Amino acid sequence: MAIFGNFNHMSLGDLLPLLSVQNGALEVFNLEQHPRVTLYFRGGLLRCLYVGGRPADPLQARSTVSRLVSAKRGCFEFAPGAPVPRCPDPLGWPLDQLLLTTVTVQDEIEGLEQLLPHPETVFRQVRSQAPEDERLFDFWRRAQDLLQAGASARELAEELGMPLDHARYYLLKLRQSSLLQPVRARVRPRGNGSVAARLLDSLKRRFLGGRQAWNH
Amino acid sequence: MEPLKVVVSGPVGAGKSTLIRTLSETEIVDTDALTSEAIGKELTTVAMDYGTLTLEDQLLYLFGTPGQERFDFMWDVLTEGALGMVLLVRGDRPEDFPQARRQLDYLLSQQPVPYVVGVTRQDQPPVWGPEEVALYLGQPAERVVGLNATEPTSAVQPLVRLLELMLQEGAA
Repeated sequence: MAIFGNFNHMSLGDLLPLLSVQNGALEVFNLEQHPRVTLYFRGGLLRCLYVGGRPADPLQARSTVSRLVSAKRGCFEFAPGAPVPRCPDPLGWPLDQLLLTTVTVQDEIEGLEQLLPHPETVFRQVRSQAPEDERLFDFWRRAQDLLQAGASARELAEELGMPLDHARYYLLKLRQSSLLQPVRARVRPRGNGSVAARLLDSLKRRFLGGRQAWNH
Repeated sequence: MEPLKVVVSGPVGAGKSTLIRTLSETEIVDTDALTSEAIGKELTTVAMDYGTLTLEDQLLYLFGTPGQERFDFMWDVLTEGALGMVLLVRGDRPEDFPQARRQLDYLLSQQPVPYVVGVTRQDQPPVWGPEEVALYLGQPAERVVGLNATEPTSAVQPLVRLLELMLQEGAA
């Protein structure tokens, strides 16, 4: 049996049920602006994922699968029986849950578009407690050094090799968990205290007839 | 004496142009264009609004930023070196709050600028009050002030609060 085709006609979501009963490797190539991806399956689990010939860690693997699920272009070919290579960070993700998880993230990102932070907003870690959610934990673990110093979604996406929207999504979730706060650029004292006082007096005289404005 | 700059920012329709028009002593210069997408009004600011206010011989430039995020490069251009920033949000449009928070977080992480948040339409209930908006934005209550941007004595409140806070913090 040969399994091959193009994401134009068949999505990864359609493929996964077939692959859950196979052992072997799915090669995905000719993706739009993305290197070749190889997914290794055994016993109904995604054991390992390679991007551009290198093993992906769980965070990168999750982002890659999510990207493949929504890919409209890209060829795939399954090699039955291909052995699982050495994988420093084995995945072991059940295929039936994988689709649900990645689709949920993708759907959630689309639903949360209005809430996602600006790509350049810098966030910093304010609590050291790790998140319990597995997806958040993967991101947290990889991003922790950067977030301790302060990093934006764009920087994190570049450093961690993940889509920008995913980085924005994780920052939003960690912020909602009170683990992060946006960094405030430090206001430099201008050493000109009389300016504010003078402007304030003048404003009050002009607009308020000299009334006190505090707490209006 | 060098002119100082106050930037008025916030989502589309928050009342930025109205506030500048209410406070400016000169005819405001605007860069309105017909909207190319459904944002709830026919004209919107695409580069900036500009008005002036002279206080004790000190010229203040009032710059309004475009509300749409695709013009976000203008936020930085206009905010850099400003005396302060007023971020406006419409109190009767809670659906705009996430964008206001995103804009505020972004600008404050990029620009070291003193700021206050103004919640407009306080004269048109039902409307979120400044205390509730402060909670949503994660801001101290004193940073958020309610106003009606069409009424001069009310429209000036964010500027008054901004200067009061600057005085308190000794950052002026």
